[in-house]
Amino acid sequence: MDGIGWAAAAMDGARTRLETAAVNLANASSDGFKGVRLRGRVVPDGLRFARLRDAAQGALRPTGRDLDVALAGRGSFAVRDEHAKAVASRGGALQRDRHGRLCDAAGRVVLGMAGALRVPEGARLEPDGRVTLNGAPIDRLRLTPGTTVRSGFLEAANVDAIGEMVDLLGAQRSFESAEKTLAAIDQTRERTVTQTALVRA
Amino acid sequence: MNRALYAAASGMAAQQLNLETIAQNLANADVAGFKGSAMSFEDIAAGAQPLGVQSVGTHTLWKQGKLARSDGAFDLALDGPGFFRVTDDRGRHAFTRNGSFARGADGMLRTTQGCRLDGVRVPADALSVTVSEDGVVAATTAKGTRTCGHIRVAFFHAPERLRAEGGTLFYATSASGLPASAAQTKIKFGMLEQSNVSIIEAMMQIMSAQRAYEANAKGVQAADEMMRIADNLQRG
Repeated sequence: MDGIGWAAAAMDGARTRLETAAVNLANASSDGFKGVRLRGRVVPDGLRFARLRDAAQGALRPTGRDLDVALAGRGSFAVRDEHAKAVASRGGALQRDRHGRLCDAAGRVVLGMAGALRVPEGARLEPDGRVTLNGAPIDRLRLTPGTTVRSGFLEAANVDAIGEMVDLLGAQRSFESAEKTLAAIDQTRERTVTQTALVRA
Repeated sequence: MNRALYAAASGMAAQQLNLETIAQNLANADVAGFKGSAMSFEDIAAGAQPLGVQSVGTHTLWKQGKLARSDGAFDLALDGPGFFRVTDDRGRHAFTRNGSFARGADGMLRTTQGCRLDGVRVPADALSVTVSEDGVVAATTAKGTRTCGHIRVAFFHAPERLRAEGGTLFYATSASGLPASAAQTKIKFGMLEQSNVSIIEAMMQIMSAQRAYEANAKGVQAADEMMRIADNLQRG
């Protein structure tokens, strides 16, 4: 690949960086959002990017609402999706439905040890996943071992706004310098072409 | 660049919605029985790759507000979950936690919006009225004291699914189900439940929403600048 090709690949890479920073910044207020990280590598015909999710724990933001649930640790608990399959969830603003079952914001039912988890008014969600009413356990979240539940908290996005702003700026400058390189190569070629023509004339 | 532009623009739109919700909370910070709400956001995903952000709706924060003594003759507050059941001017049942009632000419207790409190009719010759914690309304007339109504507290398992109308008024929906009774909730007579909006918290939210909005605006600018440079690649 020639210089113009490489300069173009650098511009394309800068664009991908900008896109990623913009998406991460846009989701800085999305609870439970995990930031996207780019891993770039050079291949014979340009740059390749792999998009990875940053698994780091987001800050636990106190909300004072009992049914706001955040997980500390890498695990998850089980909810039942629309195909009646148990899928993993990392919490969020949960709510009761009209049958007294616990649901997530999308309406998926949270699973206990025997089907849907019921959390009556006044019941507490303990850090180990037990649901207790007046101190007596009544059910338990299907929680991955090693994970604790924090009721009254939401997990904020793990996006670092300052880092993303720096990345935004960095992407813009690297785009500009790639463009300058491309322009310089283009100018050199133009001169070669025109001056060669002058000699012939 | 277009993807970056759309992602940043979706972030600006989301923060604008967020600001509207916070502003609504602030505007009602002095309304008795008002419950603040919060907006939730989620990434717009195309497969595993997020493309932007969208609002997934608001939810009402049902946290109990502080009870404050008040001097209205028919002020009531709920200590615990539940609602007063009222009938609006179109005859529909509605639910509210705003217990600032006033007595109409017909002896009915009405909210400031004109909704009638169910289950109570104050006799015309009543000198004073008291309400017990379990909702029994007693009127004292020249002839003595007698019961003139019973206020029942309505309770919903899924209050999040109620439909809000005009600040403190809520209507039942198919998702919220029908009201049950809330036995453990006490009615406090001569008190009002203050709004559960914290002004300080709302100010903090406004500041961070504003900064997030600006950060996304910078994203739009950066994408625009890149497009300008790309457009100028072809000289002459």
